Formats: sequence, C-alpha cells, structure tokens
Amino acid sequence: MNLATHTATLAETIVFAVLSAGVLLGGLLTITRRNPVSAVMALVLTFAALAGLFATLSAHFLAVLQVLVYAGAIMVLFVFVVMMVNHEETTPIARQGLITRAVGVLAAGTVFYRAAWLVARERAMPLLAASETPPVKDFGTVSAVGALLFSDFLFPFEAISLLLLVAIIGGVMLTRHFREDGSRGS
Amino acid sequence: MPTYAYILVSLALFFVGTAGVLLRRNALIVLMSVELQLAAGTLALLAFSRALGDQKGHVFAFFVMALAAAEAAVGLAIVVSVFRTRRTANLDDVNALKG
Repeated sequence: MNLATHTATLAETIVFAVLSAGVLLGGLLTITRRNPVSAVMALVLTFAALAGLFATLSAHFLAVLQVLVYAGAIMVLFVFVVMMVNHEETTPIARQGLITRAVGVLAAGTVFYRAAWLVARERAMPLLAASETPPVKDFGTVSAVGALLFSDFLFPFEAISLLLLVAIIGGVMLTRHFREDGSRGS
Repeated sequence: MPTYAYILVSLALFFVGTAGVLLRRNALIVLMSVELQLAAGTLALLAFSRALGDQKGHVFAFFVMALAAAEAAVGLAIVVSVFRTRRTANLDDVNALKG
C-alpha cells in the first residue's frame, strides 16, 4: 500500500470547499424545489461540481464520464419525462403521514451523524489521512482504467452491457402504448 | 485534501438523498434523490481508491454509473407508464398493491 500524505495548500482547500459547497447546495436544492424542472437543474449543478471533485481525486476518466453520462444523458432523460409528466406540486412535502416520515429522516440523520462523527474522530488513521495521488503510473487515465476493464473485469464489463440492453428493452416495453381493446398501438 | 474530507462530503450527500427519498412524494424527485445517493457512493469509492493507490475503485465507480443509467431508464419508463394509466406522479396515490 502506498499511503501518502502532504499538507493541503490554500488553493487546494479553496477548490475543495467551493466544489463540495456546490455539491451539497445542489443536492439540497434538488430535494426542496417544488417545480421538477428546477430540481433537474439543481441536479445538473450537483453533478457538475461532483465531476470537479472527481478531477481533484485524479479520477480524470470518471470526471469526464460523470459529465457525459450524468449531466448529459441522464439529465436529458429526466427533462424529457418532466415535460411529459408535468404537474407542479402544491405541497412539496405532504402533510399526510408527516410524523412517520420525520421519524424516518431523524433516524437516518442519527445514523449519518454517528458515521460522520466516527470518520472525524478516526481522521488520523493512515487510510483516512492519505491526501496525495499515489505514485502509480497513469493513475485514473482512460488507458489505465480501460486496461483494467478489459483484463481483470472483462466478465463484469460484458455483464453490465447485458444489463444496459435489458434496461433498453424494459424501457421500450414499459412505455409501449396499448389500445383499449388490448391490441398493440403504433 | 485528506480522504476523510471527501468521505464526510459523501456522507452528507447520501443523507440529503435519503431525506429526499423519505420526504418527497413526487416520483421524479424520488428518482433524482436515488441518483444523489448513487453519486455519493461513487465519490466514496473514488476517495478510497486514491488513498489506496488502487484503480479497481475506478472500475467499480464506472459500474455504479452504468447501473445508475439503467436504473434511471427503467424508473422513468415506469413513471411514464403509471402516469398514462393513473394520471398522477404522486407516490401516495399509487397504492393499488397496498394490503
């Protein structure tokens, strides 16, 4: 294991602070907006800032993929569905069953608070304190990750392509239009 | 930046996603919150991948991304299909299977 540490420079800290603030702000806006279109736009902000965070982690390939796949393809899909299923909510957080939901959120909050507390307490341990890109050749580049994908992970890679095929067929079948008499429509 | 800072951001983002899934009743926003949770998981994978100097984490993050794409496609297809028959995207109104 190569666990490397170095003190973060001021520039690094500022970049990290701005990007993580963008991620969290975008996330909060996503779950609080009444209009689904605003929520999608906030989600694009989240994913763009997250791609920046990936780049600071030396994951260049994943950062590009994040912009292409998430901020590009998936968000277009969401915008299209919002156009089809457009209805603005009068109450974004329904009153009905609010207590049950609040208890759920509080329970989840406690779990995450405890986990964060644990991470913060153990921040001196080597794995959590490591703060530098390890001296591995071509770390995070397309060629290095691609070489792994086509050697050690060839079977999962093919399996995931099958999964995507199933998702395409499922999407087509689910949204196919059937007429009243049960016959297939156009 | 040290790895723990990234893990804390990842935890916070996952909590925001969880709160969205639990609180919101619009099926579209619930799907977006699930995407937030998956993105938080990807961030943790990449942070530990850098700390250990092992690029297998990048491969797993790649698979998570493909999985998120498949999930969004099927989930949105279900939302459209439900909206066609029930004229609603509110999860509280879709309770035909409720016991």
